[in-house]
Amino acid sequence: MTTADVYLQQVINGTSLGAMYALLALGFTLVYGILELINFSHFNVFMVGSFVGLGMLELFGVEPNAAALTGFALIGVLVATFAVTMLASGLLGVVIERVALRPLRNVKGPAAMITTIGVSYILFNLVLLGVGADAKNFPSPLPSISFAIGGAVLRLREILIWIASLLLMGGLTYFVQFTKMGKAMRATAQDPDAARMMGVEVDRVIIMAFFLGSALAGAGGLMFGLYYNLTSYVIGFTTGLRAFTAAVLGGIGNVPGAMVGGVLIGLIEAFGSYWISAAWADVIIFSILVLVLVFKPAGLFGRLAPNKS
Amino acid sequence: MMTRRSKLMAASAFAVVAGLAFAHPASAADTVVKIGIDSSLTGGDANEAQLVTNGALMAIEEANAAHLIKGVKLEGYVLDDGTATAGQYDPAQAAVNARKFVSDKAVLGEVGPEMSGAAKAMIPIASWANLAMITESATNPAMTDPAQAAQYRPNGKPVFFRTVATDAYQGPNLANYFADTLHVKTMYILDDSGAYGEGIADAFQAQAIKKGIKILGRDKLDPKAADYTSVFTKIKEANPEGLFYGGVLQAGVKVVKEAYDILPHTIKKAGGDGLVGAEMFTGAGYPAAEGWYATQASPHITEDTSAKDFMAKYKAKFNKAADDYTITAYDGTVVLINAIKQVKDSGKPLTREAVRDAVAAAKVKTLQGTVAFDENGDIQDKVISIFQAHEDKSDTSCKLEDDGCQFKYIGVAPQS
Amino acid sequence: MTTASLMTVLHPPLTRGDRARRATVTLLTLVLIAFPFLGHAFQGLGFDLDIGDDDVDSVANALAYATLALGLNIVVGFAGLLDLGYAAFFAIGAYTYGIFTSFQIMPAWSPFWEPLAALGLVAKYHQAAGDLVHFTLSFWLALPIAAGITALCGVLFGTPTLRLRGDYLAIVTLGFGEIVPIVARNVPSVTNGAAGLNGVMAPTLFGFNFRVDPTPYYYVGVLLTAFLIFVSFRLRDSRIGRAWMAIREDETAAGAMGVDHVKTKLMAFAIGAAFAGMTGVFFVAKLQTATPDMFGFPVSVMILVMVVFGGMGSVWGVTLGAFVLSLLQSWFLPSLTQWAHGIGAAVNNDWLQHIDLARSTELIFGIILVVMMLFRREGLIPATRKQDALSFEAQNVAGVRRGGFDAETTRKVLGDMSHAPGKLLDVRGVTVKFGGLTALNKVDLVVPAGGVVAVIGPNGSGKSTLFNVITGLVPADSGSIQFDGAEILGLKSHEILQRGIARTFQNIRLFANLQVIDNIMIGQHARLKTGLLGAVLRGPGARREERAALSRTLDIVTLFGNRLAPRLTQVVSHLSYANRRRVEIARALATRPKLLLLDEPTAGMNPAETLELAEQIKTLHEQGLSVLIIEHKLDVVTRLADKVVVLDHGEKLTEGTPDAVRRNEDVLRAYLGRAATDAANAA
Repeated sequence: MTTADVYLQQVINGTSLGAMYALLALGFTLVYGILELINFSHFNVFMVGSFVGLGMLELFGVEPNAAALTGFALIGVLVATFAVTMLASGLLGVVIERVALRPLRNVKGPAAMITTIGVSYILFNLVLLGVGADAKNFPSPLPSISFAIGGAVLRLREILIWIASLLLMGGLTYFVQFTKMGKAMRATAQDPDAARMMGVEVDRVIIMAFFLGSALAGAGGLMFGLYYNLTSYVIGFTTGLRAFTAAVLGGIGNVPGAMVGGVLIGLIEAFGSYWISAAWADVIIFSILVLVLVFKPAGLFGRLAPNKS
Repeated sequence: MMTRRSKLMAASAFAVVAGLAFAHPASAADTVVKIGIDSSLTGGDANEAQLVTNGALMAIEEANAAHLIKGVKLEGYVLDDGTATAGQYDPAQAAVNARKFVSDKAVLGEVGPEMSGAAKAMIPIASWANLAMITESATNPAMTDPAQAAQYRPNGKPVFFRTVATDAYQGPNLANYFADTLHVKTMYILDDSGAYGEGIADAFQAQAIKKGIKILGRDKLDPKAADYTSVFTKIKEANPEGLFYGGVLQAGVKVVKEAYDILPHTIKKAGGDGLVGAEMFTGAGYPAAEGWYATQASPHITEDTSAKDFMAKYKAKFNKAADDYTITAYDGTVVLINAIKQVKDSGKPLTREAVRDAVAAAKVKTLQGTVAFDENGDIQDKVISIFQAHEDKSDTSCKLEDDGCQFKYIGVAPQS
Repeated sequence: MTTASLMTVLHPPLTRGDRARRATVTLLTLVLIAFPFLGHAFQGLGFDLDIGDDDVDSVANALAYATLALGLNIVVGFAGLLDLGYAAFFAIGAYTYGIFTSFQIMPAWSPFWEPLAALGLVAKYHQAAGDLVHFTLSFWLALPIAAGITALCGVLFGTPTLRLRGDYLAIVTLGFGEIVPIVARNVPSVTNGAAGLNGVMAPTLFGFNFRVDPTPYYYVGVLLTAFLIFVSFRLRDSRIGRAWMAIREDETAAGAMGVDHVKTKLMAFAIGAAFAGMTGVFFVAKLQTATPDMFGFPVSVMILVMVVFGGMGSVWGVTLGAFVLSLLQSWFLPSLTQWAHGIGAAVNNDWLQHIDLARSTELIFGIILVVMMLFRREGLIPATRKQDALSFEAQNVAGVRRGGFDAETTRKVLGDMSHAPGKLLDVRGVTVKFGGLTALNKVDLVVPAGGVVAVIGPNGSGKSTLFNVITGLVPADSGSIQFDGAEILGLKSHEILQRGIARTFQNIRLFANLQVIDNIMIGQHARLKTGLLGAVLRGPGARREERAALSRTLDIVTLFGNRLAPRLTQVVSHLSYANRRRVEIARALATRPKLLLLDEPTAGMNPAETLELAEQIKTLHEQGLSVLIIEHKLDVVTRLADKVVVLDHGEKLTEGTPDAVRRNEDVLRAYLGRAATDAANAA
């Protein structure tokens, strides 16, 4: 491999990773934009999503070592798995909001944030007790097709991640920009009281934000499994914190910012591991988190919503 | 034995939470002697931990059933040094467990721990209490190194014994095999930042260099990170003929997976005994695991006729196939029980110190042969066995989670 | 009415509940002291309590968690700063002791080390290749050293980050908490990497080595916990503790009352860090190992769970919370597990026989967090107790007083109000812009010494912005504000208060969960001096100052007759609207202002109450206090003001005597709307 090949390969690695971070970052940003709440339970909704995906694939008879699917069977299985995973994760998000967060909506202080930490712990440990501590082999229906670009290799799974994330992010952008519900969400993020007075049902908007954010996290979890062919109960925290850093980097509350932030963090991780050391990757990422918050709390692209008092 | 404290709890001001404790029944006339068993039951090595723990418990049960020691009822006191947080062994939890063993007067010896990182935290505490520990699989050499006596035997005599060889043999002997038998010229080395992983990778690397293998790079992995693709891209760029991974299975499963995905399949890949566990096949699985070499720091016994009886009994009891470290755990427990018996039979009071001395002087016939220790606590016969993972679809009796049969025995590694 | 009778409100004779509480604390102390020997003692009496060394060890661990919880309580409970990386300070303390008592760093021996060896801080370590230095830092010395180092780290980390808003601070601390263990993992030359430090020395006392005997550690733990409980109480009931709680309740109001945010928050951070640092030393000495995984996010969360469970801000609560949750792991869950196995064996249920409840500890923690937040946010033992209704005696503790303040008391409260005639406050050409909106445009305003100036104008005319810019809450884009001859524009709000400008807020910003008396005491913050050390030691000076402050508080309360006096110990959020207004004025008076800024003080009051307040303001004026007041009720303005300034759309429309302003057409137009005046003119 020439150096250029390696760089290209790291860009492929970093953007694939970044696409997953971006999906997860969107969930943080949607909820923060509307409720100004850092939702720690999101970390493990992502993890649960990957297990839901695993269960779905097993249901479709995709087993480790089984022959790869092709054509319509492949697309059908993928679409169905994504749909069910996203629906299940989205509903999980809605349940979390309804049961644990709505009663606290008007409580001042850190109560809601502390609750999300609690919910995160509950999900984490339920999965641990339910499926056990060992990493699970994640069967892939994808044929192992890859393309050589010089010395770099682009695999089908990377292409899938890109396509799926672009579709999801495009869909979300369309939803937020052009649908009635999306406009209501933006209005609520700007000024919940004014939005309420203009007839926006704030409860529905909040539920929608949790549903969409969690569904995207579930999709991210499924992609994680398809990408690494592995999943385990621990993936939520490390991945989630990086995705959160991505959201902060892009300006938390800012939807396009979260997408760009995700890809940036993915690239930083890939090149940081390459140039410096994999062991320091977390230090680099969390230092970025601290530095951005201290010196540019609005992130690279600023917040869409103004500060509410 | 049920727990106790009930009366105190009711009486004391901790009444808020007292409702949870209970009275215990009076015990029989036999003296209860506990044998501590510590392994990493939570996390990436859970299956292997369950195997060795069951091996130790089986030895205790057999001794009790045979009334081996008159007037003594043996009890296994199982503790887990793995935590959900660490996702594997957690040295701090191991230290907490060591204190639990030490402060329970009935504990006269310990089998374990499974992991070197845990052992390093436990030994200083056990040393002050003269508590003999016999590990079935902690292979890092530092703990029995006389140069580090100040750390690992602050109280003077060694308390840490092994029924396996050390990484001072495991790493180098595998390096010999790579140089002499596989004729590998260039290698890349990874470890999982753990005590064991670093140690065995260092030992492998040093011997590999001595043997003329060129080391193209060395990286440390964060065992909790998910993504090693950029590290493997770096390795691919370096283009080595061989890859050595020092570490346990939490990072190991991901290493095996991602190495298969990214590196050319011609690269010869190997790890130490840290890779031997069911997760290698249930987590990483074939085809990723195919062809990986791994070692065991003990003779290969499970397929030996001498162990046939044991293997059958174990399988019947736990519905799982024992592997070599199950046997070293069983052997270690037998050695410990023998030491307790010796002290008891000699009429001396049953103290930890007496048990420790008896272990140090032991010469016990076990499944793997006669176990005796040198003056540092290391086993005298040091054998390193080499295995290679290979999927044999024709062998239907070998289940995916039976790492003992998935790893095919190749032979004894060349000693330098 | 006497101060003495007020004191009985503050310190009622011990009730039965109090006595029971004292008895509980005493009993608990005795049990704690005797605990390691209870087993033996009862055995002598023929009972088998079966308290073994392992139980003593478990309680010693619980004590270590209690000290951590006490430290985090200062940061989260007192000062309201959500710290999700608290374990980082625990780690720094632990590694400080670990590195200097283990075999990790061993420089070659040279004569340079001889004096240190004589002090016992290092020892010669014989090696064939040449002697090395073995650090042997004394445990007792390490405690204060680690406290100092961690406090310093707290200050260094806190200085740039503590100005962030609450949720951002939580994330920054989380990031810091992640970085510290990773660094510890990645610099093996100092920390021995993931394997951690091994062979850490056990403490020694008068030649007795603690080794692995849990009992001496247990007593060190008891002493450490007792010490930190003591420090917590001393700090809570001091000037510093009140400032922390003020910041927790309302940061802006705290600043306007003279509390320096940054310094006060840093103090909380540093003290919390120091607690963690000391605990780190204790923990590592006991465990004789230190590894990076001991200090990750889950540890920070566990301590947070203990604080939340016990009751944020409640010293006894968090101690109990830490105890219960720590013993839950080491006692109750294992006990329950054994019971489940027993039942399982009896009914031949395989699942019950293999259940291990100890593994669900974190699940239980998660459930506790959610349940406590949803149903009992104040924790097991709330920091503020529920208020009983006032008794008849209490209601009549002070005489009824209506009309203005008592002149003599007012003089006493205000202190020396003599002033040179001239301009006390001189606002010149002040412009404030919010984005594209100009809130104030080149506004001039003068308050003469001893004068009362009223600011009127329609809603949105910039009146409150004017107050905010004078008190340093919003920055000005241009202009100058001189107070007492010195420029104050650009000063922070607590500095402006120190110069003598106090204010009230249009929408009342009291410290809602604190008592009336604490609110007024916080008003005196800038006039008191007791620092951290003084608060803990509580020497004669500090006592005298506190007594004087209390007596002054009672004087101020007395001004309002029986309106506030009976409610001194009530939480202000329970007060009536008018009484909250009064407390806010009392709090402002407590700051010893030269100039009092009142932002619509009579809003929401009925005519009688309005009249009473107007009379009271008049008394203040008569006794020499200068007043700048925003008021809509023109009769109040006419009654009080020497001069009226009219603002409209951020510009000064006019100023003059109340009568002149009343007749001014521009003012009428601004108030009644242009159309109305045009119509009037046309007609």
